Amino acid sequence: MANNSILVVGGGFAGITAALEAAEVGYDVTIVETNPYLGGRVAQLNQYFPKLCPPSCGLEIQFQRIKNNPRVRFYTMAEVASVSGGPGAYEVKIKQRPRHVNERCTACGECEKAAKTTVPNEFEFGLCQRKAVYKTHGFAFPFRYVLDPAGVPAEELEAIQAACPYEAIDLAEGEKVFDLTVGSIVYATGWKPYDLKNLDNLGSGKLKNVVSNMQMERLASPSGPTNGQILRPSDHKAPKRIAFVQCAGSRDQNHLNYCSYICCMASLKHVAYIRKNNPDAKVVIYYIDLRTPGRYDKFKKRILADEHLSLVKGKVAKIVEDKHKNPVVTVENAVTGIKSDETFDLVVLATGMQPTMAGQKVPASVLDEDGFVLGAEDKGVVAAGCAKSPLDVMKTAQSGTGAALKAIQNVVGR
Amino acid sequence: MSNTVRVQPDLKFVKELQQFGGESLKKCYQCATCSVVCPLSPADNPYPRKEMVWAQWGLKDRLLNDIDIWLCHNCGTCSDLCPRGAKPGDLLGALRNMAYKNLAQPSFIGKFMSGKGLPVLILIPALIYLFIWIVRAGILGTAFPLFEMHGHDLVVSKAGQIVYGGLFPGDFTIDPIFAVLALFMLFGFASGVSNLLKSFASMPKTFIVGRKKEPSFLCAFIETIKYEVAQHTQFQDCGADEKSKKRFKGHLLTMYAFLCLFFVTTVVAVGHWGGAFLMQKVMGLTDPLTQLLTVAGATPMPLYSPVKILANVGAIMLVLGLTFLTSRRASLDKAKQGSSFDDWYLLTLIWVIALSGLGSEVFRLSGLATIAYPTYYVHIVAVFMLVAYLPWSKLAHLVYRTVALAYARKIGRIPMQPVQH
Repeated sequence: MANNSILVVGGGFAGITAALEAAEVGYDVTIVETNPYLGGRVAQLNQYFPKLCPPSCGLEIQFQRIKNNPRVRFYTMAEVASVSGGPGAYEVKIKQRPRHVNERCTACGECEKAAKTTVPNEFEFGLCQRKAVYKTHGFAFPFRYVLDPAGVPAEELEAIQAACPYEAIDLAEGEKVFDLTVGSIVYATGWKPYDLKNLDNLGSGKLKNVVSNMQMERLASPSGPTNGQILRPSDHKAPKRIAFVQCAGSRDQNHLNYCSYICCMASLKHVAYIRKNNPDAKVVIYYIDLRTPGRYDKFKKRILADEHLSLVKGKVAKIVEDKHKNPVVTVENAVTGIKSDETFDLVVLATGMQPTMAGQKVPASVLDEDGFVLGAEDKGVVAAGCAKSPLDVMKTAQSGTGAALKAIQNVVGR
Repeated sequence: MSNTVRVQPDLKFVKELQQFGGESLKKCYQCATCSVVCPLSPADNPYPRKEMVWAQWGLKDRLLNDIDIWLCHNCGTCSDLCPRGAKPGDLLGALRNMAYKNLAQPSFIGKFMSGKGLPVLILIPALIYLFIWIVRAGILGTAFPLFEMHGHDLVVSKAGQIVYGGLFPGDFTIDPIFAVLALFMLFGFASGVSNLLKSFASMPKTFIVGRKKEPSFLCAFIETIKYEVAQHTQFQDCGADEKSKKRFKGHLLTMYAFLCLFFVTTVVAVGHWGGAFLMQKVMGLTDPLTQLLTVAGATPMPLYSPVKILANVGAIMLVLGLTFLTSRRASLDKAKQGSSFDDWYLLTLIWVIALSGLGSEVFRLSGLATIAYPTYYVHIVAVFMLVAYLPWSKLAHLVYRTVALAYARKIGRIPMQPVQH
């Protein structure tokens, strides 16, 4: 039986935009999001382009639109298990992992006080620890705790449950599986930061004071592990000399073969963070060529006017650390032809975007050789946002809107 | 701008380079990963990033005078980590291959060093020794003669033994030809080294602040022999993976095998021409030294002779070394590192020499004359090729690289030292 509702896989900026655009012209939309919250990667940023807004700014409006629109339903901690059927009548099996915390939660935090076991915090990219029961971040939507019982002793779980004044914790909750019938599918599965473990010559993610650009976002974020103070992870001191390594694993056939579009801008943005946070710090950006698409060139000019910033043409191809855990980078300045070792307090690797689905199977669609979702637009399966190609937030939103239109075209009149 | 440099690209040269094995060089986007990961490149103007841009621009003069192509020991780390698959290692290899063909005089021999010219290179010695074989077979009455000793003379006898010197008498068919070849080779190298040093001298000099007086070339040369050659110090640093270790072992074994076999050849030559001919026949000496020299160099040697033992040890080392080198080259990822005609020419030639040399000994001892003589013939032809074409083959690196390393030592062009923590 034909169905004109739309499934959006992924509740990041592209997915939310696609869902709202379709819902606001009268289509029923279901968002399936694997994280316990909506907002995706944007939620993890300190500020985002083009206007350097904090993420709460853009996301708050989107969350309001979702709350106010009965046509949008969403499931967090859920994934698409399988898709069968065809255009206009896709049978989708959804698997939802247990959150163990129900709607009665007010995020009062009593449960967290009772929890003892700690594990690396995924939202903060391992820069700090979290408890077994936790709130992912300050403006999480839905604004509710999550309980991750893996490896937590039974007594502790009971204590956590007992600490909740609202009986919001349900230890017995299990995985749910349910079916949906939809007419179109939008894949807005987004991206993940390229894993530092793959970058052998850049320290394989083992060097304490070598962080990724996404970790830098968290270090600069007021809601991050350092409350917005940019401090080096090893000793929590303010770094005086900071290096940015562009194309760390990007434009490289041994890693990500493409340009991730936004890392140059991200590093320039990080220079702005550092300048505000730590005005005396000296910054060096090592680059192959600095890519500032479109109007971003203006931003580049503003940042480059800074006399504390120097640019060196040459890719860093080796990082080790000295006995004080200072990263030592080896680089050839391709303009002067001098190869040297330079010691810094903190090194930021401008790692690229790897499509989340890389290496996985995408039901009813295929991936290209880099792992981007190709979609099947003639069959009502549309890719949006960074699942399709590396984009900035603004273009991601445009891509979401475009995907909504394609999805509607497939279901209209069925 | 008044100081604009106009680049005069030599497009023909770029195409030529691409043919010689640098075909991917256009993919390079100058990120300088290669110069950084190279364990041997110096801090000042490191290679191979600058060579890549010179090659793209067709700056022939810069590349042909570049000492750095000899400082590279071709571990392939640069090509492994190259983000574009531009294979900088192969470019330097291609430049060396071009240098082998052009440095030594007469350079027309270099032109034959390719798949097309190979038959000519083989035919020259093959025809010379086939002619000698036919003539000798006519004289001796058989192409596969067996010999017996009658006093001081060899006589053909059905019940005799295989004596290679009986069919191809060393005094007339081997030694004079190889003496001429050796002179020809030395002349080739003399012209090649002279051209090489001229090209180095034409490059801008670096003044190193705080460096003491520059050592003499001789001093630098002795140090180079002591470290880079005898101990393979730079080779050892070149590449950290298993394949590189295999290559280091293989190369060291092969080099020392050559030294052993060179020593054995020298003993034979000195024993024969110095001991038996000069001291005994011409000067009429009979003292113990003369006798020792004569006996030590007399062929065929008994298997217990220390010289023969050294020869056999050398042969086994050679086969071992070649096995390491060949298995590594065969297992190279072609997307990262290619193998050129020159690479396979040299490996194959040395294999033929090693196997035909061992085969000659084994077949001689088993008395299989119809197999032994052709095997020996192949051996002579292959050794002729190795010696006669040496300055134009990849093996010429034993001279050019040594000279370049010594020159680099003299001017202070040494690998960047890693940070001390």
